[in-house]
Amino acid sequence: MKRAIPVLALSVAGLVPVWLYSPGAAHEGELTEVAAPETPQQTQAAPKTTGSAPKTTGSAPKATGSAPATQPQQQQQAQARTVSGPAVNTSEGTVQVQVTFQGTKITDVKALRAPNSNPTRMALPLLRESALKAQSADIDTVSGATATSEGYKQSLQAAIDGAQ
Amino acid sequence: MSVRRVEHIMGLPISVDLRDGDAALAERAFAWLREADAQFSPFKPDSEVSRLDRGELTRDELTPDLVEVLSLCDWYEESTGGAFTANVPGRGLDPCAVVKGWAVQRAADILREGGASTYCVNAGGDVVTAGEPEPGKPWRVGVRHPEIADQLCVVLGVRDGAVATSALYERGQHILDGRTGQPVTGILSVTVFAEDLAIADTTATAAFALGRDGIEWAAAQEDCEVFIVDEDRRAFSSPGLPVHIC
Repeated sequence: MKRAIPVLALSVAGLVPVWLYSPGAAHEGELTEVAAPETPQQTQAAPKTTGSAPKTTGSAPKATGSAPATQPQQQQQAQARTVSGPAVNTSEGTVQVQVTFQGTKITDVKALRAPNSNPTRMALPLLRESALKAQSADIDTVSGATATSEGYKQSLQAAIDGAQ
Repeated sequence: MSVRRVEHIMGLPISVDLRDGDAALAERAFAWLREADAQFSPFKPDSEVSRLDRGELTRDELTPDLVEVLSLCDWYEESTGGAFTANVPGRGLDPCAVVKGWAVQRAADILREGGASTYCVNAGGDVVTAGEPEPGKPWRVGVRHPEIADQLCVVLGVRDGAVATSALYERGQHILDGRTGQPVTGILSVTVFAEDLAIADTTATAAFALGRDGIEWAAAQEDCEVFIVDEDRRAFSSPGLPVHIC
């Protein structure tokens, strides 16, 4: 499974120019473009693991980005697109990925098919980047309070412990 | 019956906020933490770790607990190419980075086995939670801003889970990259959310030791969600991070 990751990464890399420069690719049979729906659709049936590359057109891949409701995604959902790549036969087996874009940025990658596995989210290092923000908020506990006794006395966690 | 108690063990302020258990149950969790300190501290000459380090014990004579801790150390050392290590040259065997999260997770397990289902244990900023403090609401775990001590940079909503943060402000000068022996640079703060604090804490420490390489390394760890601030003040978060909207 680990060895498939470079293959998947290459597949993803291959999808990016396709998405950026061929927005009409959905009509060419190789790629399926699906607007991310407001609510997750039913999960796609597990694909066959034979070596042939079945057409992906018409399949209903599960919407990626269906993260917990606490994710601040609502405003961006209108621009979210998922694109399924072609099934690629490799020495490790058949690989097919689905990529979610927000505009031109990749926000999620999911392996629809990977060698010796069911469809699964790969542990690909995809991260959302944002500017560091400072906030204060009503909380129950603090992660990252200082480890020293002196630091603890002045920390938010001490204030929380003492307030109860 | 609820209990709130803070005690300094293993050099850490450890807070237990137990919503459905009594003082005797909380004491059992603290008693375990004191035992773990006596057994695993490299600073106590008669601890099992010190005796192993002096060659008074062989690997065959160790308790199953220390075997488990050392195997976790070995796994992370291998996975990080040696950036994370429990054997810093000149400092002897020091498995503290693993012991802390592992022992605190077990303290939380003692609460659960004692019948509790709603609690928050915070050991020097590493957190295990269970249940909901109020019906329908998760524990709100604020992550300290890496540069402003009384501010947060993100709030996570956690029911049963663990959150650990490793940061420059905390003990960065003491975390060395095991590959170079030099202090770590590149990252201000790494926060990891996982099911188990042994995993969350060690992953955070190991990612921190990797410096900038730790960002992608941490993101690739199975069953871990991360929030990382680099020295350019950019925040990186996993798609599955349980961000709580305040």
